[in-house]
Amino acid sequence: MGGADCSLDERLKAYAGRAAMAGGVGKDPVNAAMIRHWCEAVGDTNPAYTGEAPIAPPTMLQAWTMGGLSGHMGRSAAYDELFVLLDGAGYTAVVATDCEQEYLRALRPGDEVRFDAVIESVSARKTTKLGVGYFVTTKMDVWVGGGGRDGEGDVVGTHRFRIFKYAPDGGRSAGKAGGARKEAARRPRPVVNRDNAGFWAGVAEKRLLIQRCGDCGRLRFPWLPGCNGCGSEKWDTVEARGDGVVFSYVVMHHPPFPAFDPPYAVAVIELAEGVRMVSDVVGVGHDEVRIGMPVRLEFQRVDGEEGEEEEELVLPVFRAAEPARDAEPAETASEPAEPTSEATGPARREVPPLVVPITRTLIVAGALASRDYQDVHHDAEAAREKGAPDIFMNILTTNGLVGRYITDHFGPGCVLRKVAIRLGAPNYPGDTMVLRGTVTEAAESTGDGTAVVRVVGENGLGRHVTGTVTVAVVGGGAV
Amino acid sequence: MSVRSGDGLGGRAAIAGIGATEFSKDSGRSELKLAVEAVRAALADAGLAPGDVDGMVTFTMDTSPEITVAQAAGIGELSFFSRVHYGGGAACATVQQAAMAVATGVAEVVVCYRAFNERSGRRFGSGVQRREPSAEGAALGWNLPFGLLTPASWVAMAAQRYLHVYGLTPEAFGHVAVAGRRYAARNPAAYFYGKPITLEEHAASRWIVEPLRLLDCCQETDGGQAIVVTSAERARDLRRPPALITAAAQGAGRAQEQMTSYYRDGLTGLPETGVVAGQLWRSSGLTPGEIDVGILYDHFTPFVLMQLEEFGFCGAGEAADFIAADGLPLNTHGGQLGEAYLHGMNGIAEGVRQIRGTSVNQVPGASRVLVTAGTGVPTSGLVLGTDEG
Repeated sequence: MGGADCSLDERLKAYAGRAAMAGGVGKDPVNAAMIRHWCEAVGDTNPAYTGEAPIAPPTMLQAWTMGGLSGHMGRSAAYDELFVLLDGAGYTAVVATDCEQEYLRALRPGDEVRFDAVIESVSARKTTKLGVGYFVTTKMDVWVGGGGRDGEGDVVGTHRFRIFKYAPDGGRSAGKAGGARKEAARRPRPVVNRDNAGFWAGVAEKRLLIQRCGDCGRLRFPWLPGCNGCGSEKWDTVEARGDGVVFSYVVMHHPPFPAFDPPYAVAVIELAEGVRMVSDVVGVGHDEVRIGMPVRLEFQRVDGEEGEEEEELVLPVFRAAEPARDAEPAETASEPAEPTSEATGPARREVPPLVVPITRTLIVAGALASRDYQDVHHDAEAAREKGAPDIFMNILTTNGLVGRYITDHFGPGCVLRKVAIRLGAPNYPGDTMVLRGTVTEAAESTGDGTAVVRVVGENGLGRHVTGTVTVAVVGGGAV
Repeated sequence: MSVRSGDGLGGRAAIAGIGATEFSKDSGRSELKLAVEAVRAALADAGLAPGDVDGMVTFTMDTSPEITVAQAAGIGELSFFSRVHYGGGAACATVQQAAMAVATGVAEVVVCYRAFNERSGRRFGSGVQRREPSAEGAALGWNLPFGLLTPASWVAMAAQRYLHVYGLTPEAFGHVAVAGRRYAARNPAAYFYGKPITLEEHAASRWIVEPLRLLDCCQETDGGQAIVVTSAERARDLRRPPALITAAAQGAGRAQEQMTSYYRDGLTGLPETGVVAGQLWRSSGLTPGEIDVGILYDHFTPFVLMQLEEFGFCGAGEAADFIAADGLPLNTHGGQLGEAYLHGMNGIAEGVRQIRGTSVNQVPGASRVLVTAGTGVPTSGLVLGTDEG
């Protein structure tokens, strides 16, 4: 079997450098209707995309090249062969993992888009949480104008796209065993009994309750039916105000557990009231948690959907008040090396977070507005057959949300130059994603008036997206 | 109250026999079989017959009941049987229980044992994801939904705080691992016989739970170990020189938890070990400087450092330097990092060998050995001495 896969590896690698698409033509010219659908789907109200002389949201770049429900045109025989080879070997599922776009000039209604794409690389066989498979990277050039197909006209943008073609083993067993996979991936449950039920009842009301001795007034945690200070059995509770600091922490690497995605940090939090509890720190990477870091209580649904009494698990977790200044952000492999280390002090500014409720409507509307008709983005049954618990957001919608987050912050005068993102934990319906950004290079320091922002979007499962956005800040925007 | 004063146990009982199975990664037989083999080996070592045994002690975690081991080992009526709780914290306490039974005349010959297929069967390192809603289950339950699931992680939380408070790096733990593996390399019974490591290899080993690396974690082992305890008088007539139980103690701290005592002060020490240390020193009248060999429980390296500090061998935060400077011969069998993870019971056996003068890494003239049990849990300890010592 190893031998067979080795030869498959070799055959797949041979596709690197071959055309993926030649002479592609957008099915529709850039048009106001598709722009409006897109803006409505991702909630983008940037005035640059409406009015007398609108431009298309730059993050729509790929949408103009999509085949839509009727399928792609202009795909090369080589690309089709590659997919037949992978499907035939059992790597039938596909998920997009990375999207890097560079925008050279804005697209406007009436522009007719043409494009070519090349297969940049096919990875060796990789094992990921999804299963075993191959990463396929393509790079597309998009241009407008020029009469022929020989490269005349204006190149308006480039689009590098990485997908993972994999064997959905987990999916097949999930299809047969019903909820088995979901069960296996559930968080370990709190151990609730008569002595501590009041704590978990408080959590259900989004209140963190600390026991207080009815005689000596001492606060205590964990919950117990008597006071270690004076032995009194009398007690009531006080609600924690929610501020705390990291007293200690660990980073879990090994062994793996189904409900957790190592490496991940777990901390002992010391609350402002003086008691401690074990919890998770959210809002920073596992490598950014530090002793003494201020944190703030919030309640996070880690399993199930709201109101699903059996499945739902809400936990009190703690959000880092600010990223550790002494820690470099964790870069992902897809991103170009960023000169972030010098960006400290005033240049390193936080972009206020954007909270995005992940509704079913957002997922479906975003997929269709980007002309992505992959069934896993709109058909829950089909998604489950492929091993996902539900439909999930497509990468282009995430890309659009990241773009919107940055342009909302820098204002209508700004222009997106590059958006490079990598996806992690999927956005499933019912979750909430919080986008956070850190300006790693300020416009005044780059010489060309562009700012670089590192963006992280976290949902209840972990990091949905990490990425870097380069934005030209015109006329002294927010930074 | 013995937490505050010495006790009357010292010197009245002795370890007369030790016996073990081979230490392996897959014993190929039942835990009961391992227990029976170890018990019979220990009795043979003592020169006693199964019929001489009237008491048995093991861990609550052991799966082989005293009566079943007795049945299969040819042991008859028992007048004393007991089990000690809290995982590896029970190790030295089994001997304390036996010594108390012998000293009070409740029993004459007591065998302490522990046997498991901890590597090929239920591996502790694989963690806990579910607990019953008992008081004990609920106590650990505070950690589970947040993903703090393994023994390594429970220790790592305190270890991180220790490094932070004393301004150290994880390399501080490497000295413990290197010392243990140095002795293991010369011990043919050790899994890591002939395989010493360097500080660089420790620092290069992969993370298990930061700040703990692979080489900060003990092995997992299949095997059995038994210890025969009888009165000092009777031990003097048997075939081996007695290892006198000079002092024996258990200890639990205030606001004690099992492995996750995160709610009390510090997190840089082991207050339960402090309780054991206080009682051992008071009862024996000894001081740290009079100890020849330390057999300190080493499931994870950071707690070896904290034990040295709790026993007063060095100041707080100084233990890594103390080990680097070879301040005390430590875990001369190779410890659980290097020889085998037998829940601390193999450490007691090494203490006995040092007293007998038969260790493969014998410390010349060793007459007083400190042995400790599982750390981070309610724990126990022994001071063993030569008959003249």
